[in-house]
Amino acid sequence: MKKSLYETDEEIIAGIRNGEEHALSFLYKLHFPMISFFILNNSGSHDEAKDVYQEGIIVFYEKIKDNSLELSCQIKTYLYSVCRRLWLKKLAEKGRYASRIEDSEDFLPVLEDTEAHDEQENQFDAMASAMEEIGEPCRTLLEDFYIRLQNMQDITEKFGYTNTDTAKNQKYKCLQRLKKIFFTAYKPIA
Amino acid sequence: MLEYRAYEQIERYLNNNMPSEERASFEALLRTDLRLAGQVQEHKQLLQAMQQYGKRSALKAQLDTIHTSMDVATVRESASVIPMWKTYLKRHTRTMAVAASVSMLSVFGTLWTVQQLKKPVQQQTARYIELRREVELLKKAQTALLNDITDATKPAPRPAAFSGTGFAISAEGYLVTSSHVVENADSILIENKAGAKYKAREVYRDETSDLSILKVEDVSFSGFGKLPYTFKKSEADLGESVYTLGFPREDVVFGEGSLSSSSGFEGDTTAYQISIPLNPGNSGGPLLDERGNLIGVISGKQAGQEGAAFAIKSAYLLQMINEIPPSATPTPLALPKKNLLAGASRPQQLKKLQDFIFIVKVYN
Repeated sequence: MKKSLYETDEEIIAGIRNGEEHALSFLYKLHFPMISFFILNNSGSHDEAKDVYQEGIIVFYEKIKDNSLELSCQIKTYLYSVCRRLWLKKLAEKGRYASRIEDSEDFLPVLEDTEAHDEQENQFDAMASAMEEIGEPCRTLLEDFYIRLQNMQDITEKFGYTNTDTAKNQKYKCLQRLKKIFFTAYKPIA
Repeated sequence: MLEYRAYEQIERYLNNNMPSEERASFEALLRTDLRLAGQVQEHKQLLQAMQQYGKRSALKAQLDTIHTSMDVATVRESASVIPMWKTYLKRHTRTMAVAASVSMLSVFGTLWTVQQLKKPVQQQTARYIELRREVELLKKAQTALLNDITDATKPAPRPAAFSGTGFAISAEGYLVTSSHVVENADSILIENKAGAKYKAREVYRDETSDLSILKVEDVSFSGFGKLPYTFKKSEADLGESVYTLGFPREDVVFGEGSLSSSSGFEGDTTAYQISIPLNPGNSGGPLLDERGNLIGVISGKQAGQEGAAFAIKSAYLLQMINEIPPSATPTPLALPKKNLLAGASRPQQLKKLQDFIFIVKVYN
């Protein structure tokens, strides 16, 4: 354990902000047992624990990255609160209302944070399924260009197009399809 | 349908890659062409969603890596490390809080009730304290009274006569009275039951023991005769039957009681407390025991307290007599040595005594 590296919450946050992989990894490993314990104790499985915990970590991570986190408590409490809320929602979706949640920690109401996360999660899911649907090579093409930000020349070579115009045309068609699928699945709150 | 070039244009616009003129014309176009504006908006959202998706899937992949890097066994182990009592505690905190409150309430309730039951007792204690305070007040009143008596600086409102009692201590014409009786005296006149009247003068005084020695200064005076009583050197016993003769009025008055304490007012060890009803004028009178020994000199009483009077112990009288400088006594002071009262009945004793007890009249 690299406990000596990140002893306080502030150090962890600073580490994540600086993009240190160790910081995230350390944080992840530090609090997973707590969440896993919580989920397992409240009719969840190990995989569900992992999913919920990762979502919680993502909420936390993204909030740190765009500097919108106002932490009034320990990271531990924040993570617990977020994961607890997410898990309650999951339970509700499964139609199993937990009559009694067995808490091992204190928690805060983190409604706003989790709701913003839900919204983003919707968008993410829509995008993921749209990406899935357009299939290859469209998916990789778009990911390479828009996400990995490779230039058109490399992409042309990688996919074996005769010239960049063909590649661009192909990309345009893919994007058109993606757009159609994405916006049918995802209705943004205008 | 937009061609991919139009898309590229939109992307260039969104990425701020347009030259300023082109940008201006494109923006002008956007304002008029609502369809194009919608397209741009949609495209923007799509790109954002895609970037978001990219970032998040990367993060998820990273987290997955971290997760798999964790040893599953240790994860499970550490999960169970969180003690069961923690959840137990969380679940039952409310119940425990209620139970605790109830028990606290009953404890304090009981305490309060017990306190209520105890109240009468407490009230009694309070009355007792009040009583004590009252006594304290009386003591103060007494001190004030004494101070008033002994205050030399206070001028007398009018030339008035005071009177007290005095008794002979030697045949040569020496007698004793209380200092406060002869305070500020211009002239002193002594007179006994038999009607013998003499002029007297104060020759010595001891303010601390409130005693004064007077000397008869009359030319007609030829001596008191043999004194029938002696002075007791040791301390008298508690409960001894004692009596006094004095002049609270023009005639001599006998008062009898017992020695009720071997210390006087406010624990004054130079005095006795005696249970003889006394009145103003008794001051300076002799205190005698049953065998006719002089054991003290009456000095005062406690205000508001029935039957508590005080007398200076004879030992201090003797001490004071010894301290008299020879210059103060023109004729030597010889104390009586033989007690003629022992064994006699009380009326017989009084008859013999009477001639040696004087009313001390003070003029100023």
